[in-house]
Amino acid sequence: MPRRLAWPFIAAVVGLLLLADYLVANSSLDAIAAAISETIVLLAAAAAITGAISLVVRHAGDLVRGTGNRAGSVALLIGLGVMLVAGFRPGSSGAGDPSVRWVVGALLVPLAASVFALLFFFTLAATRRGLLLRGRETGVMLAAAAVALLLLLPLGGSLGESLAGAAGWVLAVPVGAVFRGLLLGVAILTAVAAARLLFGMDALDE
Amino acid sequence: MSNDRSWRARSRGWLAAIALLAALAGALLVGSPAGLQLPNPDHSAVSQLRSAIAGIPANGTVLVAFDPDIGTYPEIRFAVRAVIDDLISRRARLAIVSYTPEGRALALAEIARLVDGGTPAGRVLDLGFRTGAEAALVTSVASIVPDSASGALADALRSRGGGLRAFDLALIVAGVDLGPRSWVEQVGTRVPGLPLVAVAPTSLRPELEPYRASGQLDGLLGTLRDDAAYAASVEPGGAHRPPASLAILVGMLAALAVLLQVGSRNIQARVRRAFDRRERW
Repeated sequence: MPRRLAWPFIAAVVGLLLLADYLVANSSLDAIAAAISETIVLLAAAAAITGAISLVVRHAGDLVRGTGNRAGSVALLIGLGVMLVAGFRPGSSGAGDPSVRWVVGALLVPLAASVFALLFFFTLAATRRGLLLRGRETGVMLAAAAVALLLLLPLGGSLGESLAGAAGWVLAVPVGAVFRGLLLGVAILTAVAAARLLFGMDALDE
Repeated sequence: MSNDRSWRARSRGWLAAIALLAALAGALLVGSPAGLQLPNPDHSAVSQLRSAIAGIPANGTVLVAFDPDIGTYPEIRFAVRAVIDDLISRRARLAIVSYTPEGRALALAEIARLVDGGTPAGRVLDLGFRTGAEAALVTSVASIVPDSASGALADALRSRGGGLRAFDLALIVAGVDLGPRSWVEQVGTRVPGLPLVAVAPTSLRPELEPYRASGQLDGLLGTLRDDAAYAASVEPGGAHRPPASLAILVGMLAALAVLLQVGSRNIQARVRRAFDRRERW
């Protein structure tokens, strides 16, 4: 079998087995599909651990060489160390340990929430800059944003009810239609890309 | 000269940001004055979710799939807490699991809130983090209770098979990474008897609405208005309230002011250019 067809062949066999398990009630198929799913889960776990190790190596290397953002590297390594100590110290019950919960609940979540809260200010600044560059597309997008803002204004009374009704219609009809169109397009393109991969087609075949 | 101008422009920007921050802080302190509210003319989402929750038997088991992302969680947090507290007040037993790392971090914070709030230990079970995204969802159908889990709820779930069929309801707290769509596709088809309900940020609503309309999702809170209406319906004037209406209004008006200011400046520049061109002709 040509080498370039080996991986598509494996992908096709795995895909067909999972599909058959989905459609046919059979204990042997169930066992094979479960083993495949477990392997995928293990691969994902291995990828996560490899990613974490690579991150540590990269930032430790930056610190040793004196390159990159040294303050950022120190913060990352300290954060990682604190979390690992909290979860792995003797007597700790792991991810559910109260110290891990405290680090997450009192430090990580508020810090991340603060960073995301800054998005409002950055988005306003970016909007201003985008419009000053006078891009027509930016103008259209921001006009739509202005309409959405008007519809979502938190007002009471009959005006508020009308705005809320209009906002619901906009979300359900035009936005919903565009969104579903995009999803359908993505699904069709994914199917085409998968078929090309399975048949071992690449740009050179065209 | 130009340095002086750029310094002045920069300090104007900082002053505007500080003024906006102060206005938002003041608005948060004021809260939601009369006349400013989040009206919700369509109550179907709220009644659908309430009837799905009312269908849980006494001492029923609910799986809370906690996978929001940190960016959008503040939008749905009060509604998620209102649903969880509603479930606990109905004496449901909750098992919390996460399939994304961000979801796990937020789940730990919520579990700490429940424990600190005095929820009896036997009512909440931490099923931990499961790696593998959709593949993990598929494996959860057969087995979701880890070997290390102990207690009456863990034993009850094991006695009912230890997989997703052991639950009376699945509440999906959604983010953009792994949401109700994956649940409908991977779990809804394999465990058709398990009712699925979701709380999701508004950005996911267009994608999820067809699943709610077709009944594949038994309940969905997908907008801030639905969230506020649900929280008010289960606990009028209670602890879980939507963000202060005045703060939302101040933020929106600031955004509109920026859009209008820069937009009008652009229009002025265009008009001026058109006049210049005509004069040259």
